[in-house]
Amino acid sequence: MSNYIIASDRIGVVGQPFTADEGINVEALLAGGFITQSGVKSDKTKTEPQEEK
Amino acid sequence: MATSTLLSNPVVTVNAVDLTDQCKSAELHVAVGELESTAFGSTSRVYVSGLYENSLKLTLYMSYAAAETYATLNALVGTQTNVTVTANTGTVSATNPKFTLTGAFLKELPHMWTLGELSVVDVEFHGGVYSAATT
Repeated sequence: MSNYIIASDRIGVVGQPFTADEGINVEALLAGGFITQSGVKSDKTKTEPQEEK
Repeated sequence: MATSTLLSNPVVTVNAVDLTDQCKSAELHVAVGELESTAFGSTSRVYVSGLYENSLKLTLYMSYAAAETYATLNALVGTQTNVTVTANTGTVSATNPKFTLTGAFLKELPHMWTLGELSVVDVEFHGGVYSAATT
């Protein structure tokens, strides 16, 4: 299973898993924002909805 | 009747990133070193094949926007990657081959600005193993 998700339509369909062929520099794609690592949690903190009074 | 195809609409990828819409020139050289094997008794110089020394020169419009030229090339300087040029858009076939340099090295990323002109950058990927796919 791929560990990367396509983030730019320059390398494929955004949101689809990315599988790097041999010789592809994955670190450069990550640095350039073309792919993201799957399973990386968002910085956003989930907050419980406030109860209306 | 001329049968050559004018190379006017190739598809260019660098490290799997499609930069076709930022590229205005692609120049692929597949070259092999010549090693002289002339010996006593020869009447002419003769050579045998040495190492391949391939390269791909690209002229790209420079864009510093996200997921554009700079984002593609910046982290590749000093590293190896794959670069491809397909002769034309459409399915790869015997009449539309896809050329690949696997493990080509990017030595430098120059930045050039000229008054009144779009910023372009000439980059050269050196070395790598050449292959031509027809399927």
